[in-house]
Amino acid sequence: MKNKLSWFAVPYVVWMALMVVIPILIMVVYAFTTADYEGTLENFAEMGTYAAVFFRSFRLALIATLVCLLIGYPVSYWMAHEGPGFQRVAMALIMLPMWMNFLLRTYSWMSILENNGLLNQFFKTIGLLDLLGVEYIPMIGTSGAVVLGMVYNYLPFMILPIYSVIVKLDYSLLEAARDLGADSRRVFRKVILPLSLPGVLSGVTMVFVPSVSTFAISRLLGGGTQIMLGDLIEQQFLGGSYDPHLGAAISMVMMVIVVVCMVVMNRFGEGEEEAVML
Amino acid sequence: MKKQNRLGSRLLIGLMFLFLYAPILLLIVFSFNAGDSSAVWKGFSLHWYARLFQNRLIMESVYTTLLVSLLATAIATVAGTFAAIGLYSLGRKRREALLMVNNIPMMNADIVTGVSLCLFFVAFFQGWGSFARWFNSVQGVVELPDRLVLGFSTLLLAHVAFNIPYVILNVAPKLRQMDRNLMDAAQDLGCTWMRAFWQVMLPEIKPGIVSGALIAFTMSIDDFIISYFTAGSASSTLAMTIYGMTKKRVTPEINAVSTLLFLSVLVLLVLSNLKEVRAEARERLGAARKPSALERARLKFAEPRFKWVRRGTAGVLACAFIFTVAALAHATGSRPVVNVCSWGEYIDEDLITQFEEETGIRVNYQTAESNEALYSLLKSGGADYDVVVPSDYMIGRLIAEDMLEPLDYSQIPNFDLIDQRFRNLSYDPDNLYTVPYTWGTLGIIYNTAMVEEEITSWSALYDGKYAGNVLLINNSRDAIGEALLYLGYSVNTTDEAEIREAYELVADANRRGVFQGRVMDEVFQKMEGGNAAIATYYAGDYLSMLENNEDLAFVIPEEGSNWFVDAMCMLKDAPHQREAHMWINFIASTQANLANMDYIWYASPNREALERYPAYYEELYGEELDPELYEIMAAPAETLERCEAYLNLPAKTLSLYNTLWTQLGTD
Repeated sequence: MKNKLSWFAVPYVVWMALMVVIPILIMVVYAFTTADYEGTLENFAEMGTYAAVFFRSFRLALIATLVCLLIGYPVSYWMAHEGPGFQRVAMALIMLPMWMNFLLRTYSWMSILENNGLLNQFFKTIGLLDLLGVEYIPMIGTSGAVVLGMVYNYLPFMILPIYSVIVKLDYSLLEAARDLGADSRRVFRKVILPLSLPGVLSGVTMVFVPSVSTFAISRLLGGGTQIMLGDLIEQQFLGGSYDPHLGAAISMVMMVIVVVCMVVMNRFGEGEEEAVML
Repeated sequence: MKKQNRLGSRLLIGLMFLFLYAPILLLIVFSFNAGDSSAVWKGFSLHWYARLFQNRLIMESVYTTLLVSLLATAIATVAGTFAAIGLYSLGRKRREALLMVNNIPMMNADIVTGVSLCLFFVAFFQGWGSFARWFNSVQGVVELPDRLVLGFSTLLLAHVAFNIPYVILNVAPKLRQMDRNLMDAAQDLGCTWMRAFWQVMLPEIKPGIVSGALIAFTMSIDDFIISYFTAGSASSTLAMTIYGMTKKRVTPEINAVSTLLFLSVLVLLVLSNLKEVRAEARERLGAARKPSALERARLKFAEPRFKWVRRGTAGVLACAFIFTVAALAHATGSRPVVNVCSWGEYIDEDLITQFEEETGIRVNYQTAESNEALYSLLKSGGADYDVVVPSDYMIGRLIAEDMLEPLDYSQIPNFDLIDQRFRNLSYDPDNLYTVPYTWGTLGIIYNTAMVEEEITSWSALYDGKYAGNVLLINNSRDAIGEALLYLGYSVNTTDEAEIREAYELVADANRRGVFQGRVMDEVFQKMEGGNAAIATYYAGDYLSMLENNEDLAFVIPEEGSNWFVDAMCMLKDAPHQREAHMWINFIASTQANLANMDYIWYASPNREALERYPAYYEELYGEELDPELYEIMAAPAETLERCEAYLNLPAKTLSLYNTLWTQLGTD
């Protein structure tokens, strides 16, 4: 029987080779060639020029991930302690925005953050602008706006995995810890936190990776004056300066860095084979 | 748990939901706005909903989005389930190795997946092209298509590719939990292998399949980046349409479509939750409660003897779905088409309808952001256009790189109406490839309510006096060209030192935070809404903005500027050449040029239209056209003398522009 079923894997192996492995290999080939398909390392030599972009992207993504964690962990923790009806509604409400495309949500922030936008109009009405003696508070086009956009869009990706781990925690463990004399702080630090770590790790991955590579959010909310890795790559393929070879090289370097980060991080959660996606 | 913290924690959860939902509520509120702003409330109206259903671009992209998400989910769910079963009957080592590969698309950033798939498809198409040409040349029986481009099929493949891993990930735990002996037991008891699979294994892993499908669908609907790189020009998902619109003027039709999407998902969620709550309640109450008529009908329907009725209904529904899809595909596929790519806000859209009614040819009208972006799109193999409308210097480049098809002017009688001034220009000296579409000048647009003085020089862009309120034009040629003009150099210089000096001027201002953003058509929204004080853009677009904000002024700086011609041309090997000629001829007519001038405010190269426009305007609006405005639109000879046209640059200089432009904003 086993052998019969294992045939099911064959088409998928072929598919993966075609749609996962070969595309990445082609990307690697592009990264190491010039426009005339001659081998070169120039694309990587140029990378030094863009060190600042790498730095900026990783910094902003890191900040966004941290903010998501700081909001997401307590929210998931508290939510897991509510009644089942509350939990169900809350989960539905967290998932709901994801069925609207993230560009719609990001676009909505544009009209809020503009110099003449809703938030500045609101500040004007309550007299805050006069108080500060300015005509508007610049928000759009700043890195703060980009981080806000990331947090806003990816927060559900942090909450869902953490929540799904905490809600499955074995409460007898907590009771045991308490019976053995641990106060609630200690219970949290020694029992709950380590047990929820896999959820945190997968949440961090799911927020960090899209944040570091975004181009729509930085374009819409960041104004495009401070570009990020995603913008740089997009520009090489469909944007203002066409050079797919350089674009492939940048993608490759980014991919390697991200994978290394993830592998190192997942070492902490070793032994947790169960991936906690969503 | 402790009770005393409940209030505080609930308050914070509530705050988080406020953060999540405030922007969505705003979107919804402004979908009912009578005005077209998303920041100023002008009264209640359902006007945008009516407009939404007439907006073909949005409706088509909603359709594409739903179709691709549903199909990709269905395919990925079936394929992923079988793959998971297959993987779980392999040995541990091999399984883990394969699962690692399976995880690659999930670990990878979307942009890497998108880029690699895009490169893969294009490489495959090239290989296929040469194979098909060879195959067609050695035999005459079967004619293989030798020109494949990115489109709906590649979009679907890409979605399936990133959905399968999610399905596997959800099915796998269920397989791991399942007792392996169950299958053997079923077979020992006389089940065939097939039957054991259907009746034992599938029910066991069903929850995993359902949640996998749900997540795959969510991912498909929410995706933008992978679609953006793999859909090409021919199909566009809602996300891509929105992204395209945010680069232009966003109309509240987008708010209307988001409201409808949001409400339909909300209703679905509420219904499914209600069902669960009811089921739970029923369990608690036991049989004490009498089932309602609806429930009784449902229960009856679920009886085994109605099995064939159920299967039949499902079959009919599935057939109906497939039939609708096929019919729609056929309806769009059978009519002759012409694929046009132009710029945003660059045509009176009534002309498209008019052309379609007159000829029965469907116009697939797309827009690109800038000449450079159009070039990238053409080069990356993602475009399937017949007619494009690039500017002079880009036409020169496309001709030099053999990317255009010569036109057959006998099919374009209206070419005779084109003024001699706009024929045989440097980019197309023998006029073999082009029919001019519009012409105009580049200049500074500023808001007189925010800028006290009169601006006369490009220096206003760089000196930092209006820091944070200046918009930089987002294409290398214009942005660096302006700086070259300011420094007193030619816009066509090939001297590397001069170009670097100009670039440094722009980059330095960027570093100092002078620029609020890099914009192309976003400029409309920014300048009309008073969100920025100074921008550089084209004369025609200034006049459009003036209609919505009277404080705006336009100036061609004393250092001179650029004047340009945008012309229609046909791409090499365009599949719809007859239709393309018909379109070009239609647009070159005096009537179309008048309508366009009135709508987009760009000057026409059509002699008759240009002369007749003031009279046309007076007839239409009952008032005289302000001669000053006409002069901005159709710059007089003495203004044009101060302006220089862009020429195509040698490859080395182009590559320098590329490198410098990529570096802008990276430090």
